[in-house]
Amino acid sequence: MPDIGIISSTIAAGVLLGGILGLTALGLSIVLGVMRLVNLAHGDFLVVGAYAGLFFLQFSGIDPVLGLPVVALLLGGLSIPLYRFLLAPLADRGAEAQMMTMFAVSIILENIFILVFSADTRSIARDYATYPLTLGPVTVPLIYLIGFAISVTVILVVHWLVSSTAFGRDLRASAADAQAAATLGVDVKRVQMLTFALGAACAGVGGTLIGAAFQFSPSSGGPYLLNSLAVVVLGGLGNVLGALVGGVVLGALQSVGGLTLGDGYRDVVGMALFLLVLAFRPEGFLAQGRT
Amino acid sequence: MRMTGRITIVWRLAAAVLALGITTADAADEIVIGASIPLSGPLAGFGSFQQWGYKRAVDEVNKAGGIAINGTKRQVKLVIRDDKTDPTVTAANTETLISREKAVALLGSCTPALVNAGALVADRAKKPLVTGCDPLEAFKSVRKWAYVWDLFLHEPELSAVQFKALADLGAQTNKRLAIWHDNGPDGQVVGGKLWPAFAKEFGYDVVQNAEFPPDNAQFTTIIGEAKSKGAEVVLVDAITPQAVAIRKQMAAADYKPKVIIIEKGAEPVQFAEALGKLSDGVIVGGYWDPTFPYPGAADLAKAFETETKLTSSQHIADSYAAAQVLLDAITSAGSIDPEKINDAIRTTNKTYVVGPIQFDQFHTAKLPVVSLQWQGGKTVVIWPKNARTGDFLFPLP
Repeated sequence: MPDIGIISSTIAAGVLLGGILGLTALGLSIVLGVMRLVNLAHGDFLVVGAYAGLFFLQFSGIDPVLGLPVVALLLGGLSIPLYRFLLAPLADRGAEAQMMTMFAVSIILENIFILVFSADTRSIARDYATYPLTLGPVTVPLIYLIGFAISVTVILVVHWLVSSTAFGRDLRASAADAQAAATLGVDVKRVQMLTFALGAACAGVGGTLIGAAFQFSPSSGGPYLLNSLAVVVLGGLGNVLGALVGGVVLGALQSVGGLTLGDGYRDVVGMALFLLVLAFRPEGFLAQGRT
Repeated sequence: MRMTGRITIVWRLAAAVLALGITTADAADEIVIGASIPLSGPLAGFGSFQQWGYKRAVDEVNKAGGIAINGTKRQVKLVIRDDKTDPTVTAANTETLISREKAVALLGSCTPALVNAGALVADRAKKPLVTGCDPLEAFKSVRKWAYVWDLFLHEPELSAVQFKALADLGAQTNKRLAIWHDNGPDGQVVGGKLWPAFAKEFGYDVVQNAEFPPDNAQFTTIIGEAKSKGAEVVLVDAITPQAVAIRKQMAAADYKPKVIIIEKGAEPVQFAEALGKLSDGVIVGGYWDPTFPYPGAADLAKAFETETKLTSSQHIADSYAAAQVLLDAITSAGSIDPEKINDAIRTTNKTYVVGPIQFDQFHTAKLPVVSLQWQGGKTVVIWPKNARTGDFLFPLP
C-alpha cells in the first residue's frame, strides 16, 4: 500500500489534470451537442494547439501561456474554412458524412504534421512545466495547477457565453431543434460555424497546456480523442460544466487506477467507468440543466 | 475515319505496351532492396536516422557505378516504406516489398517488436534481411534464423555496462535502486531479468521494479513510490515519448535521484531537444560515437550533420553498417540469388563504421557498448575511461 504522500499527491494531480482534460473535451462536447458531429479530428486539433504553443514560444519568445489567446484565435480561424468548405456542404447528408470527412481531415493533419514538423516527440519546455508545488505531504506539478486554473476559467467563460448571451441562446436553440430554430429566424449554419470555431479554439488552448505538461508527437491525437470522448460521456453531451465534472472525475479515477493497479493500467478504471456510464446513464452525470 | 481511329488506338496501345516493356526492362536492371522502418509513430525518432543511414550506403554504391551482377553493373534501388511503429504494418510492408516491389533482400526496422515482425516474413520467404536496432537476445529468442542477420548490442553487456561505469567512475550513492521498464520483449529481458541480477552482483538493493505498457503516459505513482523509498539510482527502459514524460514528471514530482539511466528512449537527439536542460546528466548505453577508431566514423557524423543540419545519432551508424554488409554481400555473391547473398552475408568478416562484423551461429554480431551521458544537448562518452570524450556529470544536476 503506497504511503499517504503518494496517495494524496496522486489524487490531487489526477483532479488537477482532470480539469485540463475537461477543457480538452469541451470543444468535442459542444460540437457534438450543437452539430451532432463526433469530430474525429478533435485530437488532432489539440496537437495543432500544442505545435502552435511550441512555435509561438520559439518565434516570438513570449510564454505560450500568455500566448493562449493567440493560439485560440488561430485555431478558431483555421477551423472556419474547414467548416465552410468541408462540413457545411454535407449538412443535409447526415452526421455520418461529416464524421467521415473529419476522419479524413484527421489523417491528413497527422500526415501534414509529419511532413512539416517531422515525427519527433516534442514538448514545450518551460521551467514551470516541471516545477514541483509542495503543500505538506502533497506534491503536484505547478503546470497542473496553472492548467487547471486556466481550464476552469475558459470553461466558465464558455458557460457564460452559452447561457447568457444572444449567441448562446441561438446555440441552445440550434442544439435543441435546429429545424425549429431556423424557422424562428436563427441562422443555424452560422451558429454551427461559430460553435465549430469555438470548439477548435478550446482545443487549441487545451493542446498548448497538454504540450507544456506532457509530450506530444504527430500521432498523439488518437489517445486524446479517446480521453475526450470518455469525458463527454461522463459529463453529458453538450454540457459545458459537465465537461469539467467529467474531466475531474476521469482524472481522479485514473489516479485511483494508477494507485491500485499501477500507472500502466490507470486508463482501465477510467474506461470501465466510461462503459458503465454509457450503459446505465448514457446522458452523463449532469443530465439535467444542459449548458 | 473510323479505320483511322482504330489505327490510332492500336498505335497507342502498342506504344503503351512498348513503354511498359521498357519500364520493366529498366526495373529488371535495378537491384531492389526493401526496408520497412518507423517514419511515423512513437519510434519515428529512430526511423529518420535509419533512413539516412540506409540511403547513404546505397547512394555510395550507386555513385561508384553500382554492383556487378553476372559481369554487368547494376544500380541499387532502395524502396522504403513507413511501418508507423506498428509490427502488423511492418509484416505487411515486408510482404509487399517482397511480392510487389520484388526486393531481392531487405534491411530491418527498429526495436525487437518491429524488426522481428518483418524478419519472420523475410525468413519465411527466404529473402536475406540484415538489421541493426534489435538487441541480440531479443532477436535470438524468436527462432533459429536462416536468412536474417542482426548486428547490434548485446543486452547482458548493455545491462552490465552502467553498473561497471558507476563503480569505475566512483559514483557514491546509497545503493538503493529503482527499475522501471516497459513490457516489450527487450524491456522484460533488460528490466525484468538482467538489471536485477546485475544490481545484486554490484551490491545494489532493488527497492522497486515497476513495469508498464509501451503506450503509458502517466508515471505519477511509480515516481512517488521510488521517491518515498529513497532510490538514488533509477534505471529506465522505455521508448522516447515515455522517456521524455518520465524525466519531466520526475522533475515535477521533486524527485532528484543522483543517477538516472534511461536505455532506448534516451538515445535519439529528440530526447534532449524535447527536454532541454532536463536531459543533462541522463545516462544511456551506446554502441557508437563518431570518436570511435573505426573507418569513416568521424566522416559519417559530419556528413549527417552537414546534410541535415541536425545532431547525429548512433542509429545512423548501425543502419549504415547493416546496409553496407548487405551491399557487400550482394557484391561478393555477384548475384541476386537470395541463397548466394545469404551465404555471402554468413562469411562477412570486415571492420565497418561500427567495428568488426562477423556473424556467429545465431546470425548475430555484437557491437561494443559504452556509457554515454547527455550534456548540453549532446552525448559524451563517459566510460570506458580510454574512450572518454567528456567528464562524468555527477550527481544529476
